[in-house]
Amino acid sequence: MSEINRREFIKGAAAVVGGLITAVIGLPTIAYLIDPALRESAKEAWIPVGKLADMPVGKPTPFSFTRVQVNGWERTSTSHGGYVIRKSEDPNDLLILNSICTHLACTVNWSEADKVYLCPCHDAKFGQQGEVLGGPPPRALDRFEEFRVSDDGVLEIFYKEA
Amino acid sequence: MWTNVFNWLDERLGLNEMYTNLLDRPEPKGNWWNTLGSASLFLFVLQGATGIFLTVYYTPSPDHAYDSVQYIMEGVAFGWLIRGIHHWGASLMVLIVFIHMLRVFVTASYKYPRELTWLIGIGLLLTTIGMGFTGYLLPWNQRAFWATTVGTQIAGTVPYIGEFILKVLRGGPDLSALTLQRFFSAHIWMLPAALAGLIGVHLYLIMRHGESHFPTKED
Amino acid sequence: MDNETKQKINERYERELNRGERFWPDSIFKDLVVSLAIFVILLLLATFIGVAPEAKADPADTSYLPRPEWYFLFLFKFLALYGQIPVIGKIEWLATVLVPGLGVGLLTLLPLLDKSPYRHYSRRIFALTFMGTVVLDIVLLTIMASLPIPPDANELAASTVLQAIGGLWIPAAILTILVGFYLFRREIYHVSTRRSLPIWITVIGSVAMIAMTAVVSVRAASYPVAEEAEVATTLVDQILAGQDLYSVNCVECHGDDGSVAVIEGVEGLEGEEITPINSTDVLYTITDSAMYEVIAYGRPNAGMPPSGKAYGGELSKSEIDHIISFMRYMWDDRFEIPAEALQPLFPPLADGEVPSYDVHIAPIVKRYCISCHRPGKDNNDYLMTTYEEILTTGENKEHNVIARDPNGYLIQVIQGTPIMDPENPNEELVGVMPPKGHLKPDAIDAFVRWIWAGMPETAEQAAALFGTITIEPVTTPTP
Repeated sequence: MSEINRREFIKGAAAVVGGLITAVIGLPTIAYLIDPALRESAKEAWIPVGKLADMPVGKPTPFSFTRVQVNGWERTSTSHGGYVIRKSEDPNDLLILNSICTHLACTVNWSEADKVYLCPCHDAKFGQQGEVLGGPPPRALDRFEEFRVSDDGVLEIFYKEA
Repeated sequence: MWTNVFNWLDERLGLNEMYTNLLDRPEPKGNWWNTLGSASLFLFVLQGATGIFLTVYYTPSPDHAYDSVQYIMEGVAFGWLIRGIHHWGASLMVLIVFIHMLRVFVTASYKYPRELTWLIGIGLLLTTIGMGFTGYLLPWNQRAFWATTVGTQIAGTVPYIGEFILKVLRGGPDLSALTLQRFFSAHIWMLPAALAGLIGVHLYLIMRHGESHFPTKED
Repeated sequence: MDNETKQKINERYERELNRGERFWPDSIFKDLVVSLAIFVILLLLATFIGVAPEAKADPADTSYLPRPEWYFLFLFKFLALYGQIPVIGKIEWLATVLVPGLGVGLLTLLPLLDKSPYRHYSRRIFALTFMGTVVLDIVLLTIMASLPIPPDANELAASTVLQAIGGLWIPAAILTILVGFYLFRREIYHVSTRRSLPIWITVIGSVAMIAMTAVVSVRAASYPVAEEAEVATTLVDQILAGQDLYSVNCVECHGDDGSVAVIEGVEGLEGEEITPINSTDVLYTITDSAMYEVIAYGRPNAGMPPSGKAYGGELSKSEIDHIISFMRYMWDDRFEIPAEALQPLFPPLADGEVPSYDVHIAPIVKRYCISCHRPGKDNNDYLMTTYEEILTTGENKEHNVIARDPNGYLIQVIQGTPIMDPENPNEELVGVMPPKGHLKPDAIDAFVRWIWAGMPETAEQAAALFGTITIEPVTTPTP
């Protein structure tokens, strides 16, 4: 091998070795850095909300529950809530609204006097079906669509983590 | 097309000049013992890289240090690899730096005109050991906690100023959150900054004087 | 160094450069090969050896034996040996500051101390023998510091003397002689054969040092090594570890499922009302750190003893954390327990299969019985922590466990029949067991089969009895 060929070979080999080290360290590192974004965090549960018999027809009954979120080594609990409106004596005839305002996520409150849900943050108003009556919210209050009543009369809603 | 790109960059960065001055230099006939220095540099860069990635998930507080390290090991993709490389790389770096020093001693490469290079090298050795000492505490497990307690205690045996040194190291009389915090600060940027600076001067001197040749009877 | 010498050195170097190679690509290629090798070694180490898990830092646990990182071990051992020297051994700073400081100082000032222009080893005998001795000493001290600790005082004294000879006195002697040779070299080296003297001294001394280290190591090979406690790292391991710890330490008062509201069967606390610890009242309102404090400090006014080492108990920080993990994931409905943590207590028994103590009975006893039936608790001296204890201990030892006898005390009380005192027919000699909650039918079935088969201990013994026993129907205890 002449001097020049040897030199070219060594240059090539050096480049390959350098590239190899970079790739072997680089690729796992990319996975390492973006790992939290790749996780499937959807969790679902049936949450008991209260005895159906205790909820009067026609009047929104508030309920709340807590969920725990695990982020890395931290466990924090978040609270959620809503209103159950029985439209009739039929246990399946229910409207269950999420009390999180669709504007900027404050909690709305039912005003028995005005028969509306009021948000204290930016004066949003929602009607009995959760529809927007006034204020900044872009859409109606979210609903808990899936629910069931257990054998001993406890209403359970299906909660899915976003 | 690539030639045009290269020329554009060369006119502005001076790439050809860099090549001539930094890379296209004569060296004495190579000896594989001479690679230990660059091996130390490679390990420093590797430790720096893995260390930076570790700080994406590590929390330097007694409440969360241990749990965050556990999360890196069990929860994060390839976290065990990044931490494993950092853990073993630390030991390997101390070893390689030490053997490098021995090699320089045996080949008497510290003599004229390379005395300053040696001096800087001792500074590098001590700073590397400092990195090992500060890094050892960070997982906040039993081994780390008690080894650092004894280590700082030994530092406190210096006559007259020993207690002062101990309190400076620990951030108080006991090993606490303050200790962890200042060891973390020293480990991730104060000592690395010192290392980087010293390495810069060390490399400059090596390029200026060239790598020493292996001594023969003539020397 | 005068200018003429400097000139000679520079010219020599120029010549070497001219017959040499290029930095790029020759030197860099070698550098990259070595870097790659180091990288591969690190990958292998990280993958196949990894990092040993350690328990969480516990400032209250002063029983832990501290060890520094390996590259400080030689200093560690040097300090220990130095401390043995009479009188000056008490002056700590000589060893911690003076000697290391001297070492670093000499190393730093080396180019200023060694101004001779010679680089070849033949002209640097003093430097090389001195450094060689020091490096060998560092290596041997590191080895000595890694050995297990002598088990008794006599062995400790003997081992320390040998270590001091090999690691302290011989090297000190060698170095002193070498320095002496160097200082008086003009007188000594009149005769050229004497130039090899320092090399011989160093070689012989080194052999002696190595031999002494070998002796110490061989002695240490027979010392008992302290068992390292396993540290649980994954969530599932932590929950299972917590479950075991809970079974031994907490079941006595709180029950195996945390549901006890009135304590029964515990001396001094009979009838005490407590909030069940598996209730939402407790789990929703008490955070992990508050729970930690309750377990560690205890509730002295309510009768709960401290469990944390800081307060006189026996559990480390990590262990209490594991118990809390178990409680959270098992009883707090806001947490989803990983499926692997819900393991059956013992493998289900097939028809005709005979259970063994090792595989079937031991886990049941650990979960439900040991909390009370261990030393120091109120249990009529009936201990159940080992196979022998179950069969042979207790005030009623002749009656407790009898092969194939349905009148044995154990088989009766776990099926709901208390043993009455023959002298006082209204007094219970042995109450229904467990006092709170009953064993599940499959656990009772396992006990019945076990006793009917003659209480086999190991799985092999039980397998040999397969299909050989006829079981009487199991009675479910009336609640």
